[in-house]
Amino acid sequence: MSVQDQLRNRATELLADATIDLFVGYAASDTPLKAAVHVARTEAEAEALTWNTFCTPNLAALLPDLLRRPEGAGEDWAPPRVGILAKGCVSRSIVGLIKAHQIPREALYVVGVGCNGVVDRHRAARLFTPAAILAAEPLDGDRMLLRGTDGAEQTVDLAEILLAGCLDCRHRNAVVADETIGDPVPEMSPAPQEDAAASFAARPIDERWEAFEEEISRCIRCYACREACPNCYCTECFAEETEPRWIGVTAEPSELMLFHLGRAFHQAGRCVDCGACAAACPMGIDLRLLTGKVNQDVEALFGGEVSVSLDIAEPLLQFEMTDDEGFITEP
Amino acid sequence: MTENAKNERTKPEAPMDTRIVSKADLAGVLTALTKDHAVIAPVDDRTGAVFAPIEDASVVRLEFRNTTLSPKAAVFPQIETLLAFRGGVATETLPEPPETVLFGVRPCDARALTMLDRVFQRDGIDDPYVAARRDRLTVIALACNEPGPACFCTSVGGAPDDDTGSDVLATDLGEALLMRAVTKRGEALIAALDGVRPAEEGEIEAARERGAGAADRIDRVPVPSKPARLLESFDSGIWTEIASGCVGCGACTYACPTCHCFDLTDEHKRGTGRRVRSWDTCALPLFTLHASGHNPRPTKEARLRQRILHKFAYGPETIDETLCVGCGRCVAVCPSGIDLRRILARLDGCVAGGGAG
Repeated sequence: MSVQDQLRNRATELLADATIDLFVGYAASDTPLKAAVHVARTEAEAEALTWNTFCTPNLAALLPDLLRRPEGAGEDWAPPRVGILAKGCVSRSIVGLIKAHQIPREALYVVGVGCNGVVDRHRAARLFTPAAILAAEPLDGDRMLLRGTDGAEQTVDLAEILLAGCLDCRHRNAVVADETIGDPVPEMSPAPQEDAAASFAARPIDERWEAFEEEISRCIRCYACREACPNCYCTECFAEETEPRWIGVTAEPSELMLFHLGRAFHQAGRCVDCGACAAACPMGIDLRLLTGKVNQDVEALFGGEVSVSLDIAEPLLQFEMTDDEGFITEP
Repeated sequence: MTENAKNERTKPEAPMDTRIVSKADLAGVLTALTKDHAVIAPVDDRTGAVFAPIEDASVVRLEFRNTTLSPKAAVFPQIETLLAFRGGVATETLPEPPETVLFGVRPCDARALTMLDRVFQRDGIDDPYVAARRDRLTVIALACNEPGPACFCTSVGGAPDDDTGSDVLATDLGEALLMRAVTKRGEALIAALDGVRPAEEGEIEAARERGAGAADRIDRVPVPSKPARLLESFDSGIWTEIASGCVGCGACTYACPTCHCFDLTDEHKRGTGRRVRSWDTCALPLFTLHASGHNPRPTKEARLRQRILHKFAYGPETIDETLCVGCGRCVAVCPSGIDLRRILARLDGCVAGGGAG
């Protein structure tokens, strides 16, 4: 039985026997290279669930909203029981959200699935330009056939169109799950990819500043990066606070900078590099430019990976008297 | 809009001038236009194509589908200063743009400009900031020979070769570009171009065939023809289902060629400052947050419902326009893969009596 069939069967059963009230997954989209986020509340809706290499969004981003007590809810309010399909990064975001007390573990039924990486439509579009992609057909051997306008056709290696973060993913299987479907995929001991964050950090500061300004000048302030991110669960973001107003509404570099630096630093110790922010950005901003560096620093300075287990303390949520604090006083 | 601009934009009954410019000469023709016009045209971008001011027309692209963002910023920029103030005195900062040619907009986007006209210039409303740009804008649209994957213009009253909102409609004939004047303003513009020749009947027919061929390749979507019926859905659970995958960002509204809501903000420091108009979006909660803290649209389903009903129910009622041109950008940019075409089909099936009936 295909993973997709198993998924539909299990979601249907879980809804039927009232283990869960709803199941958060993906459904097929009419747009090439995309899958739709799909919330199934009925057995019929569970039949639309799908699992493939287009399932890019991080589903954990929906959980805080689904499980948050609605305004004016009565004493007897209880969170819905939520089933969720979790590839590795989604399961890590779930771990992070549980530890941050944003979602209760007991409200979740996590169905883990092994993931071989998901498509970055921006990368695919860049490969295919100037034609637009009309259809994408997975082929054997980690290849994909892209068909486009003007009769354009191109067979590409999946690695060329996956989210950059998928290429050195260290957790392709769910790190927390109530059950798993399909066979686990082998974890990679990734050959180091071109380390974009490190090579960026190695450039002279003026160049970095210029490149950063140019990158964020593309921003249209739609906040897709923020909303697509499971870590951005604040009900009111500093970027939109009006009392006091931290950031104006314009596209002045200082304001764009404040938002993007604020966002990136706020990810420290919490980002699992799922790539949902970069995939969500309509302007194709390289949002991993900053988080990549922040993630490397967290791992190097504080030790350990972020959100890989419910039982291991998070690097930034523990403190030892012997911790190195040299970086604090470093000029 | 000034009377003069209105007059120049009327479409005469008689067929207008139609010219041919070879592809080899196009860059030269457009570059020549930059001498006495600002020219905005589609250029390469990492996301596909975007509209940008150009000086050297060799960078202009013709093969793109829809640009990532619509060209609405040419008349309604994302950010603009409305007035400056100092010491209690405010000065309006009306734009004084040069004569501008907007080249290569798709017919859906050109049509969207006429919808923005109706929003910003109607019944006693005449937004002078938008008007200043619009009055100096000449639109050369580029018909679509091959629709994109999310296109549905033919379901909302458009067509791949629709000339609504265009001053000139161009068609890519392969080796050459056919340019048909649609308005007097367009006719004056192409009459002044060097390196063009009158089109032959066969070429005009070829352009017509390409438009019809493209229209045939666009799937039809049920669109409510009785918009008032849509309001029956207002309190139904259908919006919870429709919005269940929505993450609540504003990408769809900022990419949309007809979304036009804005915010006004005063920025000041010690008595000096400016009033800024910026795009705003009904997709974010701050849009309707009251000073009291109450928010009449507290959920993403209420906000998504607002966006859809504004386009398909309130627009027809208030300005007699369905505020959607079927460009498919909202479909393309949605991080959650929400598809307006599916929403319309869903509404059609749910609204009593059939919204599309």
